[in-house]
Amino acid sequence: MASGPLETYSPSQTLERRHQQQKRKSFNEIDWARSDGRNFHQCRPAYLRTGATSSASGSAYAEFGSTKVIVSVFGPRESKKAMMYSDVGRLNCNVSYTTFSTSTRGQGSDNKDFSSMLQKALEGAIILETFPKTTVDIFALVLESAGGDLPIIISCASLALADAGIMMYDLVSAVSLSCFGKNLVIDPTSEEEACQDGSLMIAYMPIRNEVTQFTLTGEWSTAKINEAMELCLDACSKLSNILRSCLKENVLDFTD
Amino acid sequence: MVGLSAGEKQFMHGGIAQDLRSDGRQRLQFRPISIQTGVIPQANGSARVTLGATVVIASIKAELGKPAPLRPDKGKVVIFIDCSPTAGTMFEGRGGEELSSELSVGLQRCLLGGKSGAEAGAGIDLSSLVLAEGKICWDLYIDGLVISSDGNLLDALAAAIKVCRFIFLVRFEISSPWQVALSNTGIPKVSVIVEASAEDQLEVNVSDEEFLQFDTSGVPVIVTLTKVGRHYIADATSEEESQMSSAVSVSVNRHGRVCGLTKRGGAGLDPSVMLDMISVAKHASENLIAVLDSEIAAAEAAEDDGS
Repeated sequence: MASGPLETYSPSQTLERRHQQQKRKSFNEIDWARSDGRNFHQCRPAYLRTGATSSASGSAYAEFGSTKVIVSVFGPRESKKAMMYSDVGRLNCNVSYTTFSTSTRGQGSDNKDFSSMLQKALEGAIILETFPKTTVDIFALVLESAGGDLPIIISCASLALADAGIMMYDLVSAVSLSCFGKNLVIDPTSEEEACQDGSLMIAYMPIRNEVTQFTLTGEWSTAKINEAMELCLDACSKLSNILRSCLKENVLDFTD
Repeated sequence: MVGLSAGEKQFMHGGIAQDLRSDGRQRLQFRPISIQTGVIPQANGSARVTLGATVVIASIKAELGKPAPLRPDKGKVVIFIDCSPTAGTMFEGRGGEELSSELSVGLQRCLLGGKSGAEAGAGIDLSSLVLAEGKICWDLYIDGLVISSDGNLLDALAAAIKVCRFIFLVRFEISSPWQVALSNTGIPKVSVIVEASAEDQLEVNVSDEEFLQFDTSGVPVIVTLTKVGRHYIADATSEEESQMSSAVSVSVNRHGRVCGLTKRGGAGLDPSVMLDMISVAKHASENLIAVLDSEIAAAEAAEDDGS
């Protein structure tokens, strides 16, 4: 499906070079190649497009490697009657998987955990004061799950929000990272996620320099958290530029 | 949930800025913790933790089960947290569901995420729960109950799970004729084993006399730092939590390694503040672990006196 320009947002070469130097120093580093031929600090190519569905206020399609996600944004529209009065807007997020998204046929059910994570990642970026008494609905559908689902959903959703014209402080971009022994592997695939020792996910607003969501599993030392955060934040900034250029292209198409 | 007037809010913010909170604590000081173990006789391990006005109970039950097909060498741990309406009207009906699932997910991430796969435990060694690979394992059911809620539930629940250290698993023998035969021949024919185990032939002898103690002292503690205004505080009360912009829960084990982290609240945080909070949480966890250890020792001594 990806026919447009594929862009990558891998952390900068200087960072990488430094890590390679570190790598050379440590001899007990186990050498292994990633299944898709990337090196450890290389992200999958990102393909992003806005306006994936026509009935939504805003929508976006994202394809990172073989992970494919559609996000639609509806609203702001009147909150449900049962909800109490609120002088700031509400955000309602829903993440679901298609039955064919995984290698074994899934249930196609809602992912409550991801839904609440998505909400928390975006809440801090949206200027909720601009639409009191109303709700913005974000529906994310994972067409194909091949690792890094949540960060891709978050990035794609912030693009869809921008497409819908919802006021935001900044675009949110998210990147995950897996830890294998001493190695840090950015943007893991699902096979890599299945055997990781630890994981880290950051959702970040680069211009405001704020982390909106951060999760970490497994055992980590502080030095390693520092290194992993540095890598992720750099990748997030680059991904944010890709999101921005995607929006700009859209506007240019419109004016032509 | 908590209604505060403008004056009260200002008083709280001002107090936190001056390192003196409404209840006289400093910013990073915990409320007094008290622990009672073995509060539920039917459970394999249980504890009640009182942290100021927050009261939680954790119980661990072990049941025999079958390992998941994808992880035949690992036992299972299920964490479920219940927020009872007795703790407050906001937990009535479905009201407690959101908080319950948030706490369950937070604990799962902080206590179970770890070595080799998302299911593996940093604090709980899942492979020690397996009795016969692919056939029988212990399933640990960790249930938390919030009895009274006055903030910082996650830390209290993690502490309660940590002090449930008196889990006695019943030791038993597995007898199975074909398994003995196979081990004698020394040919590990997996296909045969699978065929043979289609009918569950394992006989389990559960002995009531011998027990195996499962140690949970390696389970990490969780320290939640809540950001109110420009400062962050440890062990927030629900009044303080109502004013939070965001909160970071860090789980730290005995060796000072970070075992998991979750962020709550929508507001963004500067990355450097985030790293600062992690190191402060690590420091605070040392004190918390020391307090819990001494409380456990006291509880053990009290039990010995009683018997």
